[in-house]
Amino acid sequence: MSDLLEKYVRPEKNPGTACKGCGLRLAHRRVLEAIDELGLGQGDVVWGTGIGCSGRQTFVTWKGDTFAGTHGRVYAMATGLRLALPPEKRLILTVGDGDAFTIGFLHLLNAARRNVDMTVVVFDNLGYQSTGGQYGVTTPLGSRTDSSPYGAWEPNWTQGGFDVLRILKEAGATFLARHTVLQGHEPVESLKRAIRNPGFSLVQLIYPCVTHYGVQALGTRDPAAIYDWFRERTAGLIEGDPGDRFTTGILHDASGSRVEFSAAMRDFVASVQKGERHV
Amino acid sequence: MKRTFDTGNAAITEGAIRAGCSLFAGYPITPATEIAENMSRRLPQVGGYYLQAEDENAALHICNGGAIGGLKAMTATSGPGFILFADAFGWAVSSEVPVVIVNSQRVGPVSGITGAPGQGEFYLSRYLTHGGNFETIVLAPSSVQEAFRLTVRAFYLAERFRTPVIVLADQMVTDGWETLELPESEAEFTAMGLEVVPRRIHPGPEFYPASDAIDIPPVVLGHNTGAACSDWTPTDRGHDTEDVTWQHKHAWRLIHKIRNHRELIDEAEEWFLDDDPDVILVAYGTPSRVVQSAVRAARREGLRVGGIRLISLWPFQDRMFSRTATYLTVELNWDGQLVREVQRAAAAGSSVHFWGRCGELPSSGELLETVQKLLKNEPLERDGWRTEKW
Ligand code: SF4
Repeated sequence: MSDLLEKYVRPEKNPGTACKGCGLRLAHRRVLEAIDELGLGQGDVVWGTGIGCSGRQTFVTWKGDTFAGTHGRVYAMATGLRLALPPEKRLILTVGDGDAFTIGFLHLLNAARRNVDMTVVVFDNLGYQSTGGQYGVTTPLGSRTDSSPYGAWEPNWTQGGFDVLRILKEAGATFLARHTVLQGHEPVESLKRAIRNPGFSLVQLIYPCVTHYGVQALGTRDPAAIYDWFRERTAGLIEGDPGDRFTTGILHDASGSRVEFSAAMRDFVASVQKGERHV
Repeated sequence: MKRTFDTGNAAITEGAIRAGCSLFAGYPITPATEIAENMSRRLPQVGGYYLQAEDENAALHICNGGAIGGLKAMTATSGPGFILFADAFGWAVSSEVPVVIVNSQRVGPVSGITGAPGQGEFYLSRYLTHGGNFETIVLAPSSVQEAFRLTVRAFYLAERFRTPVIVLADQMVTDGWETLELPESEAEFTAMGLEVVPRRIHPGPEFYPASDAIDIPPVVLGHNTGAACSDWTPTDRGHDTEDVTWQHKHAWRLIHKIRNHRELIDEAEEWFLDDDPDVILVAYGTPSRVVQSAVRAARREGLRVGGIRLISLWPFQDRMFSRTATYLTVELNWDGQLVREVQRAAAAGSSVHFWGRCGELPSSGELLETVQKLLKNEPLERDGWRTEKW
């Protein structure tokens, strides 16, 4: 594993900012494993991040080119950047659940609609943890957090018949998967497919927050106990209402089925320049 | 030279294209929609990309994303969209990304009056984001021809200073029809005093030097230079830091790269200032055209009246107000914005007054009447909402 870090991660940014015992480092590592197994080098990937725990952990760790956007806007930035980058460059964004599914959701939906070639990896810590632990749209119902002291009751996007990934599927995303970081190599396989897809891919990677979610919602900071709680809740793909379980697996793989946005843009522009289109 | 009769919207479009703009992202909004429409037609013809964003916030972020990929990018809007740029504008300022923003000012606040000229974003254009610790470049055209010139110039300054540059126009400049001369060759372009700086690529690793130097290539991703840019306070290598010394270095650069090279930015026009006039009218944008007529009319009547038209608004040109005089700012707003800066900058012993209106221009006669009152030391205030005392 240290080989991977040596290969891809700036030494001054190792081991990163995540709390001791947090699953975030494992999540970060899963992405590096996928990159490595695809045989990609530092010059093949441009890496963007949002803010929060995931942004702080991953920003400017990548030895190659890297950027961090304002909260929730990195999908819009990546849309512009994609038009500038050569098609073979892989664009990977590591962001949090709040970044992708709340503040940035409009931009995420539009990136999916356009099928912009990017891989969004949502490091989902089940709420707003870098601000001290408040509930978000992936926080299990009933969870006690600092802003839900009576238990989270606002409808979320993972229970009660909702699945945020289904919304993204309808919006046009061409690859969608969800895993926990504790599922061994499974998430790596999905990440590889996501990165390979020449279109909009999103992988939701749920990971345990020990400092806030563990303490506030589960009543423990002990990683072993928290990880057990995660494992108990983890299920495969489930037809119908999964209750309070994390349904995991590849929810949608339509890789290559839709024309990619920057390719379509280049074709469109070329056709105007060749005089094939007129106003 | 191609002589046409066209709008400011068309002039801005042609200026952007001649400056090498290859990405426009925008969101339809009166009265800036025609800039987007023109771009959607013209950009693909020259190999550039036009796209319609989900909102203005996204529009400028898309431009920022294109810009850090090496594209010259522009967006255009009016007040309600301009305010949504706060997020992306701050990112571009802090990450030192060249990008051009056009604002065709209409009447506010909020949606206000859509199709009438206003000048309510004088201060907002200076502080289009939160947090302070930066200086801003803002240019203000007052004619169709100048809208062309200042758009080219905005791209030029954006590249040299590595910063977003705002073209602060108004509805009359962008919607107005006038003669527009467009250069048809390099020689004609240069003869108009125009210049283009191509996008360069910073080789790294010191992407953010603690210096006030300009002409440093911007950060461009995709060339495996270890490029790093973000919303965080950067070290010289672009790494995120919470260290106050780095923050001070960064802020110092953002402020003084502009302030210490302001001779490249400052631009103003003067009318009849040689005989130390008693009253000096001050304006920018479309109202300055009425000011010019009013000053001429006053001179015909033998009154010692002069005028100043600010072409670059920010950084503010204090030097233009070093004469002790009676100043009168003429603005398309009721609250008085430019007047505050003139009050601050005016030489000791000056008196500074405000003439404001929104949605329509003053007449030269109205301004002349006000000047006469000032010359006679009569108070300017009138009763009620019409022209309350400022
Ligand atoms: S606050 Fe929670 S999610 Fe964030 S780094 Fe610490 S343990 Fe991980």
